[in-house]
Amino acid sequence: MIQINALTKKFGRFTAIDQIDLHVLQGDRIALIGLNGAGKTTLIRIILGQYLFDGELQVFGKNPRQHRVEILDRIGFVPQIPPPIQMSVGELVSFAAAISFRSSRAAIIEKAHALGFEIESNLKKPFLKLSGGMKQKLLIALALAREPEILIMDEPAANLDPQARQAFFLMLLRSMEKTTMILSSHRVDEVINLITRIVEIDHGRIIQDEQINRSHMADTQLNCRVILTEPNDQATQFLEEWNFMQGENRLAFDGSFIGAERLRFMTTIAHFANQIKSLHIN
Amino acid sequence: MTAVPAREAETEHRNGLQLMRALIQITLSDFKESVRAKWFLIYSLVFGGAVILLFVLGITESKVLGFTGLSRLLVTYIQLCVAILPILVLISTVRSVVGDREANILEYFLSMPVSLGAYFWGKVISKFFLIFVPILSALIGAVIWGFFKNLAIPWSIAGYYAILLGSLSWCFLGLGMYISTVVKKQEWGLGLSVLIWLILLLFIDAVLIGLMMQHQIIEGVIVGIALLNPVMVFRTGAVLLFDPELTAIGPASYVILDRLGFAGFLSFSILYPILLGWLFSTLGFLRFKKGDLA
Repeated sequence: MIQINALTKKFGRFTAIDQIDLHVLQGDRIALIGLNGAGKTTLIRIILGQYLFDGELQVFGKNPRQHRVEILDRIGFVPQIPPPIQMSVGELVSFAAAISFRSSRAAIIEKAHALGFEIESNLKKPFLKLSGGMKQKLLIALALAREPEILIMDEPAANLDPQARQAFFLMLLRSMEKTTMILSSHRVDEVINLITRIVEIDHGRIIQDEQINRSHMADTQLNCRVILTEPNDQATQFLEEWNFMQGENRLAFDGSFIGAERLRFMTTIAHFANQIKSLHIN
Repeated sequence: MTAVPAREAETEHRNGLQLMRALIQITLSDFKESVRAKWFLIYSLVFGGAVILLFVLGITESKVLGFTGLSRLLVTYIQLCVAILPILVLISTVRSVVGDREANILEYFLSMPVSLGAYFWGKVISKFFLIFVPILSALIGAVIWGFFKNLAIPWSIAGYYAILLGSLSWCFLGLGMYISTVVKKQEWGLGLSVLIWLILLLFIDAVLIGLMMQHQIIEGVIVGIALLNPVMVFRTGAVLLFDPELTAIGPASYVILDRLGFAGFLSFSILYPILLGWLFSTLGFLRFKKGDLA
């Protein structure tokens, strides 16, 4: 799907990408990791045909600079920071639906609804005035509505609440077989259950490229019961954010999350370890 | 045997349709965004307000160099446009590409299946209408007002002025778009715009008279400088209809008129800025297309 050989990108004297070789196959789900400034965004922009480069790059067997529209029609992109678009939500949806035969207004509305964002009731609202999470949900919906063959996302879940993140991950997991994904992230644990391959970039070079086992429980709904030792406001707030229901004695909480989110749940709830009497996941 | 060419033709048709849809969408979205922006309101108020102010001040009643009534108003309006139209057009267009790039809007929109041509020319089309509609509306408003005030309507002059204003707008729109693709920061674009505007204003008759009087530069060079300056060409063309001998403005214009003739100069004053606008916008597009986009 993506063939990269000896790819180099320089900005003046600064080498942002240095002789990279990378072959992305159909169905690959890659976590592109690295520190800020490592070269992740530059590599993504090159793949999207936005930068000139030295070396070889083919996406769907074609050069993305020369066949931009054809290639980009088959790629969905979600940026990390939502751009300050002045359009209203309705205008942005109409725009995205009109520029591609693969997209439609109905598909965008459906994807956004699945993520917990109701487009119909926000049509007139300026995109700029939406909350960070709402913007992100809309951008994800716009990208997914085209049923892209390659999905490129730069820290896509950074602004999402737990419910939206789970819905988003479920969407990704369900389209896994046909969609190739590149998820740029500075933390691999955020996306570990979604991916099959880790590519780490440092100073413009690939320093690690390895396959990992696919998580078979990623899209399984896991039930969870948490019992606190004593009432704790912060722990309660955290569990409520994850949609847990509080029991009658105010100490027991029941809820569920998908397997892909269990690591995130566990690492966050670990902050309240001293207030937890028991925790069961099944 | 015919299935493959038929499929190719269908794909080509689809691509053409997609390109057209993208062009329309970019034009519409840029138009809407600009209408919402404050600069457009200020811009419209400047031109609309100028005409209203000229009427309110009773300029149609005055008589200068034989111009009176609506003709007097139009000539004053056009003189105002000489000074302010170039800088207003430059300020409102120079941020188009570089502004989108700085705000990461360009990165996002160009990650969608939008061709570079649709993106760039969609903005050009939208900006042209945004710039020209207020100027034209002000002109039409003046004519309508004159009609109700029972003033003689100089139709040919009003028509020529509309074309002339469109031509000058197009010229500076092209220049603004070019600057927008070349500079790395919006501030640089704005600074460069002001500098270019000042230079062009300086090199109308004010400076040229000085050079001619001092006999420091040969006449041909001075005429050449004047002819290259779209502001000068616009100014001369605008006055030509009222003052066919160009007695009211400077010597460089007089020499130009002598060389090109009345009809020749009228045509030149319309065609030259249009060509210049095309040249700059095409150079801007090529620069945009060949460089890093985000």
